[in-house]
Amino acid sequence: VSHRPDVDEIIYRSALLLDAGDFGGYLALCAPGFRYLISAYSPEIRRDMIWLEHDKAGMTTLFETLPRHHSDPAPLARHLTVYTVTVSDDGTQAQAVTALQVFRTSLDGGATELFGVGKIHDSVALTADGARLLKRHIKLDTRMLGIGSHIPF
Amino acid sequence: MSRNAEAWERRPQLPATHFVDARLYTDETLFREEREKIFGKTWIIACHESELANPYDYRTFRHPAGPDLVLVRGDDGVVRAFYNICPHRGNVLVREPAGTARALTCIFHAWTFDCRGGCTGIARRKEGYQDRLGTKDVGLRAVRCQVGFGGFVWVNLDDAGPSLGDFIGGALGSLLPHISQPLEVFHYQKIAVNTNFKLWHDTNSEFYHDYMHYFNRVTGMQQPGYFDRRYVPHPNGHAAVGSMEVKYDQYSGSGQRRIGWPGLAPGGWILIDLFPGMTYNLRTSVIRMDVVIPIAPNKTLIEIRGLGLRSDTAAERAERVRDHNIIWGPFGRNLHEDLLGVAGQGSALRDSASGARWLLHGREEGQTIHDEVGMRHYYAEWGRRMDRLSSAPFTESSP
Repeated sequence: VSHRPDVDEIIYRSALLLDAGDFGGYLALCAPGFRYLISAYSPEIRRDMIWLEHDKAGMTTLFETLPRHHSDPAPLARHLTVYTVTVSDDGTQAQAVTALQVFRTSLDGGATELFGVGKIHDSVALTADGARLLKRHIKLDTRMLGIGSHIPF
Repeated sequence: MSRNAEAWERRPQLPATHFVDARLYTDETLFREEREKIFGKTWIIACHESELANPYDYRTFRHPAGPDLVLVRGDDGVVRAFYNICPHRGNVLVREPAGTARALTCIFHAWTFDCRGGCTGIARRKEGYQDRLGTKDVGLRAVRCQVGFGGFVWVNLDDAGPSLGDFIGGALGSLLPHISQPLEVFHYQKIAVNTNFKLWHDTNSEFYHDYMHYFNRVTGMQQPGYFDRRYVPHPNGHAAVGSMEVKYDQYSGSGQRRIGWPGLAPGGWILIDLFPGMTYNLRTSVIRMDVVIPIAPNKTLIEIRGLGLRSDTAAERAERVRDHNIIWGPFGRNLHEDLLGVAGQGSALRDSASGARWLLHGREEGQTIHDEVGMRHYYAEWGRRMDRLSSAPFTESSP
């Protein structure tokens, strides 16, 4: 049985849900033990830097507090291409590597600019109930993110 | 009541120290003068010593008033600064932002230089220059450089200006006890934003904009002691802000800090602005350092560093990183809002025809947290160095 369609589906769906601001839908794709991490390597200080790290509860809080903050209203669009999917021998987990491109479209005029690129390294649980994200580690190539974002990738 | 054109142009009915001409943020002539008279003659932070931990480590820096620099830790442990320019044909000497090299070699014609700036090799020198020019004639241009005040590497293009100690004076007095241990950079980020460099420093110089930060409102503004925090102006345009007890547990997902910072009271917060665009910011378990690098009147590069203690265990460092990221990371709550703020100013003040005429710095609240004395103090120093009034920069009279 090929698990590739299930893994592709959950990864692409996660991008669509974040793009749409459906944070509850995104969290529903995540297993209870979900871990989320964004990192980048800095050639300037010659270190890996962790820029965001949360468990599922932390991600839930991040999303729930968004309405209390001032955030850039320009939408982000996540363009993903799943490169590789490797399924464990017992068929319970998959590791996926996905190319990430994030575009920002201004509200006034609709100009689109590249916001960031990187790779997504996902661990996906394969269960009888379907695939669930166990861990998402985004390794950013882009380190100059303009004014930044309250909403992760 | 809205105002017509005449009323909009009219000088505010405030002391001249309490507002500035909006052209300070847009005018090309002023911008060129600022680079020359301010950034070309003052100490600024190029990097931190932990970025050059070992002999032969180097680090590059884009100086706002001159050529790019390369900082090198010598074989004697001393950090030196040079123009990052090969004296032969003007090519960039070091191309990576950081690295380690016993010899700095220009890839163009293979001239080499040592860690003290001396030229050590000219390819086929004898054949081409005979005895007319030797390595002793073509060393790198050295720039004043000093490590201090938390291990930061300071540079000054002006060979004749005041010492770093005289420049800082007593401004860092409240912070020095907390930065006596060796520090280490764990976070580095460059941010390019379309705004004037002074607007970023202004934001770091006033807390009235805490209304923009939900995090600061619930953990600070709504807590006892917030309105007692005081600004203390120091010579040379610097200003320090007194501490308070920030209630981090009032923000969902933030919670009680476990490790804090040596000597800093739980929830303490010390912020010190240094002219013309550097800010020490110690809160939670982290020091943040901002350095502004003006690129154009409406374009600024901001370098942001997060620092912990060099002695941190892995667990301690991880906690500092978490504390840093929740408010100051690229996805943090406050940094994004501050950038939204200054990007909005940059949009409104994008050029001299943008329409803005005056910016007000007029709040007086006994030099406490919503008093705008920090900005007034900054622009007094700006006027002194520019020989112009910040409220009337194009009049004949000097301040």
